[in-house]
Amino acid sequence: MIEITCNDRLGKKVRVKCNPEDTIGDLKKLIAAQTGTKWEKIILKKWYTIFKDHIRLGDYEIHDGMNIELYYQ
Amino acid sequence: MGSSKHKKKDKKKRHHSSDSSDGDLSSKHRKKRHPSSDLSDVDVSNKHKKHKKHHKKKEKPKDKHSKYHSSDDDVIFVPPPPKISRNEVRTPPPPSLTPPPPPSISSAADSLSIDETNKIRAKLGLKPLQMENKETTKSRDDGLEVIAGDEGEFVHKPALSLTEKNKSDKIKARIAEKKEKRMIENKILNVKKLADSDSEEDAVSWVKKTKTIQDEMEKAKKRAQELEEMDNVFGVGDLIEESTKSEMKNFYSSKHLKGLEVQHSMDEFIEGKDVILTLQDKDVLAEDADVLVNVNMVDNESYKQNIDRRKQRLNYSGYDELEDMDIDSPNVVLGKYDEEIEGLKKKSFKLGVDEYKIKRDTIKEKLKKKLNQETLNTTQLKLASDYYNDTEMSVKFKKVKKKKLRVNPLKADKLERSLRLANNNAKENDDLDDIDDILNDKPMDIYNMKMENEDDDDMGLQLALKKARKLKQLEKIERKPDLADTLIKTEYNDNALGAIVLNSTAEFCRTLGDIPTYGKAGNREEEEDESLMDYDKNNLKQEHAVDSDESNDGWREVEMEKKLIDLKTIDSKPILEPEPDLGKGVAGALRLAMSKGYIEKEENARPSASRFAHLQAKNYSIEDKTFLAEDDKLSRRDRYSGPTVEFREKDSYKPNIKLDYIDDDGHLLCEKEAFRYLSHKFHGKGPGKNKIEKRIKKAEQEALMKQMSSTDTPLGTLNMLQSKQKETQSPYIVLSGTKSTHQNHGGSISKTKIG
Repeated sequence: MIEITCNDRLGKKVRVKCNPEDTIGDLKKLIAAQTGTKWEKIILKKWYTIFKDHIRLGDYEIHDGMNIELYYQ
Repeated sequence: MGSSKHKKKDKKKRHHSSDSSDGDLSSKHRKKRHPSSDLSDVDVSNKHKKHKKHHKKKEKPKDKHSKYHSSDDDVIFVPPPPKISRNEVRTPPPPSLTPPPPPSISSAADSLSIDETNKIRAKLGLKPLQMENKETTKSRDDGLEVIAGDEGEFVHKPALSLTEKNKSDKIKARIAEKKEKRMIENKILNVKKLADSDSEEDAVSWVKKTKTIQDEMEKAKKRAQELEEMDNVFGVGDLIEESTKSEMKNFYSSKHLKGLEVQHSMDEFIEGKDVILTLQDKDVLAEDADVLVNVNMVDNESYKQNIDRRKQRLNYSGYDELEDMDIDSPNVVLGKYDEEIEGLKKKSFKLGVDEYKIKRDTIKEKLKKKLNQETLNTTQLKLASDYYNDTEMSVKFKKVKKKKLRVNPLKADKLERSLRLANNNAKENDDLDDIDDILNDKPMDIYNMKMENEDDDDMGLQLALKKARKLKQLEKIERKPDLADTLIKTEYNDNALGAIVLNSTAEFCRTLGDIPTYGKAGNREEEEDESLMDYDKNNLKQEHAVDSDESNDGWREVEMEKKLIDLKTIDSKPILEPEPDLGKGVAGALRLAMSKGYIEKEENARPSASRFAHLQAKNYSIEDKTFLAEDDKLSRRDRYSGPTVEFREKDSYKPNIKLDYIDDDGHLLCEKEAFRYLSHKFHGKGPGKNKIEKRIKKAEQEALMKQMSSTDTPLGTLNMLQSKQKETQSPYIVLSGTKSTHQNHGGSISKTKIG
């Protein structure tokens, strides 16, 4: 289990527990459950790389305690 | 994070909640108030975190304070409002009793607990969170994982992944393909090839097979015969035949179609290809005959017609005339408008009517008619041979017809003679042998004469003729062995037949001949000729004949004279000039050189064509060229064609060229000045005023310099000095001032201008 913090810099900051085997899409769903925004509207970014839904967190080398930028579309 | 910690936390939380349910309520209340509750909570928690370290010691009382604060909310105490707000901000989270884990309430806002997340995950269809060493996973038979967590075992069935599905589908498809291929290959392998010997079928089995086949055939035949017999017995066969015949009669055949018109040309129907024809549409009331038409062909025709129109076919093509020859169509005037006037003519033919045959017949008839008139057989071809064949060789040359004499007998003796002459003549001309005979026998050989004038019986003429005859005979005797000469003579005789014509004009000429002449004019020439004739005996006899006239005051034929002169001119000059003698000195050598062409005469030293080649027209027609060629020939004849002296450069020739430029005033100009002068002329712009003045000055000075004597100064002091010395007769002169001059007047020079 890893815990990731997602922060849009507009006031939402969420810590999400998830498995490294989860995909980004799963993570988005979890975030959506916590924040109340639709998961399709969420964009996760690290610097300029937009994470794609079908790829796993482990493959993106997202580890415990990492910060991910949260954007909306 | 360890689960144990969480448990503790949970416990605390529960504890806390039990302790202060009011506080929970209040928090909920707050949430309702603020739509962005999470945000505020997070902020609050953060602040708390920040403050944690600083206010560790203060935490306990603060907690208490919070409790109080909650009780405040319940309106037990009434503290001042601004304080409350300040407290709210400052209030640390309730589970602050245990500082290391983050405050549960605040954290619950931004991160769910594991249970909660697991619940959510279950709803989303995800695996529960993997806890280290806590959950044991077992693989079941159906490949699904059984996860034994805190909340009992459960099975996670992963969602279908499209990529994997696609992959598997692909692989499946490939496998299926391979299978099919293998199947086909097997089939092909099983098929017997031509070369493979079929081992099963040996000779015996084959014979058996054929036998069985034959047997079957025989059986079938027998059965058929039996059946026929049966039919005959019952009379069924006839019935069937009749019925088939009637059916055949009723059957719609080509006979029924005979005479129907098809509105296409025959050429469009290709043999061996079925074409479906339909009846053409027409008005119901129209009484035209039915016409068969193929829809596709009609379309094609219209299409072709359109293309033709677009092409705008030529009004005239030369082929038309040829076509007209074959088929006798009436000649049409402006046939191209026929379509527009009369409408399109559609080619058509009738079924069952052989139009081609009709056409062929007409053509045949025509040809027959023609054949009667002309044949196609031409002369047979032969192999050409290089030699004449017998028939060709036998062709003889035409004999030149001789003019027959018409002798008008005047007197008996004349007549007699003339007859004899004629005989002789005929004899002579018959053959060469005859000539020889004549020569041997010394026959009378005379020119044939044509007597036109009856009254002209001049005895002189007779005499002259006799004399000539005699002379000739003499010559003949002399040159007997020369057969060629005799031949020539005979020829000449032939030619000379009727050469001398005695008529009124001849008489007139004779009288003219009597006029005495002086100098070299007139008949004197003849005498010279005679001498020449004597000198050159090889000449023809004709002259002798003329000589004979000498006695008779020489009337002569003009032609003869001419011939004589020609002969003379030809014979008198040798073909090659005698080579001048080299031993005679320089003059001879020069003459030789001249004749050989080593030296050119000045007459010949005309400008040659080659020298003026650049002046010739560059573009000239062929006609011009021919003229030129003629000219060339003439000029070439004039020119020599012998060897010439090789051209050599003159080594000693060194021309002394000096270019002098002279001014308008006649001054010689130096190089620089000349250039200036020319450039002024070229540009049409003279020098400036100042420059001109300057130059004039310079010129003047130069002129003065030239006038100035080189021996004396311009004031002529030397001259003065010498004169003074002469005067004083002393080799010196005293130069002194004004004072001294007064004292010593004799030897001093006063400076005065001489002039």
